[in-house]
Amino acid sequence: MDSILFDDVTVAVTMDGRSEPKVLLQDISLQVSERRVAVIGANGSGKSTLLRLINGLVVPSSGRVTVNGADTVRNVRRVRADVGFVFTDPLSQLVMPTGREDVELSLRRTVRNATERRAKAEAALARFGLLPLADQSIYELSGGERQLLALAAVLAVDPQILVLDEPSTLLDLRNRELLRRTLADLDQQVILSTHDLELALDADRVLVVDQGSVVFDGGPAEGAAWYKALCTREVARG
Amino acid sequence: MRGHGFLLANYVPGSSPVHRAPLWAKFVLVAVCGGASFLIADWLVSAAALAALCGVFLLSGAGVRRLLRAVWLVAPVLAAIGLFQWWQLGGPVAGRIVLNVLLCIVAASVLTATTPVQDLLDGVVSLARPFRRFGADPERFALTIAIMLRSIPFIAGAFADVRDSARARGLERNPRALVLPVFITTVAYARQTGEALAARGLGEADE
Repeated sequence: MDSILFDDVTVAVTMDGRSEPKVLLQDISLQVSERRVAVIGANGSGKSTLLRLINGLVVPSSGRVTVNGADTVRNVRRVRADVGFVFTDPLSQLVMPTGREDVELSLRRTVRNATERRAKAEAALARFGLLPLADQSIYELSGGERQLLALAAVLAVDPQILVLDEPSTLLDLRNRELLRRTLADLDQQVILSTHDLELALDADRVLVVDQGSVVFDGGPAEGAAWYKALCTREVARG
Repeated sequence: MRGHGFLLANYVPGSSPVHRAPLWAKFVLVAVCGGASFLIADWLVSAAALAALCGVFLLSGAGVRRLLRAVWLVAPVLAAIGLFQWWQLGGPVAGRIVLNVLLCIVAASVLTATTPVQDLLDGVVSLARPFRRFGADPERFALTIAIMLRSIPFIAGAFADVRDSARARGLERNPRALVLPVFITTVAYARQTGEALAARGLGEADE
């Protein structure tokens, strides 16, 4: 079965002024094959590191991660063709001055013919209602439009899996709802990290990450309740 | 972040004769202007060439405002160069040097204002194709140009932001308060861009 496998993965990084490496994730073993998976947890808990492992942006210090059988270190090119990654801040992701140019840049590797590339880019933009804004500077777009554009640029190459790192953090309520609906309609397997428990409740499976470990793995309602209880305990402890 | 300030004019859709001109002709124009800036010895010739090129820019329909914006951003640097050269070598030489730099900027603006970025990148890929036999990846050449086009306005925007925050704290005369944050922001931006490109599988070597 196609899925993402974490096999006893630990991620540790050496930091200036510290003799011991800092452990970001420890002994993670998971199989992820559900259509919608949400990763929740506090800031600095290891959520982003967990997601970045899937796309090969972070390399395990020990253990291995495979996506549909491809190792994220040895077959990174294949993995990145299968896994689209959307960053929290779309401005760090959008490389070109306008939406049209950015989507076309995504397509450069797979579509060599310029006319075909342009048509595909327009189709990707039209899918998210962004065609009228295609030639506008990315700096003139609203936060929601930018996030949708980042999604369009990633989905233009038709990845099988979409990974989103806190996609709703910078969005207002209206745009958050728009993003939620957009994600619900996607055919891709979607794995996202979020602080938005409503978004997490749309998932089929929720992982709660705390201090580099997966401390809960189960249904969305139980996961959200578990995370709330964890936060309440930590705040009470001071 | 004020990322929209741009040294060269962004692409302006249109169907003017300049838009329709083949890409190689525009590349040649830029190359000739770059070469001519070393060869022209008379400031009057520089001024005439610049006037002609401004005419070509305006013929494209990109507008006077875009032309002035492209020039305005480099005006302080050109003013400093012009004054120094005037002091060292006299008025005519200073005028020639400044006009020749402007000639290059306007020529590059004609290219970027009338050519969609992807067409520009396709052109770079074609130009770089002969280097494939030496192991070079033409797409990487194109990607480098794309990143350059994106980075210049970002760094200009970062400088404007840092200058404003330095002013707000009364540190506008402290070069360290201006340079260091821009440097740090630029390095962080470079890492971020690298990560964004890697996540999209761009810039990886062909298998």
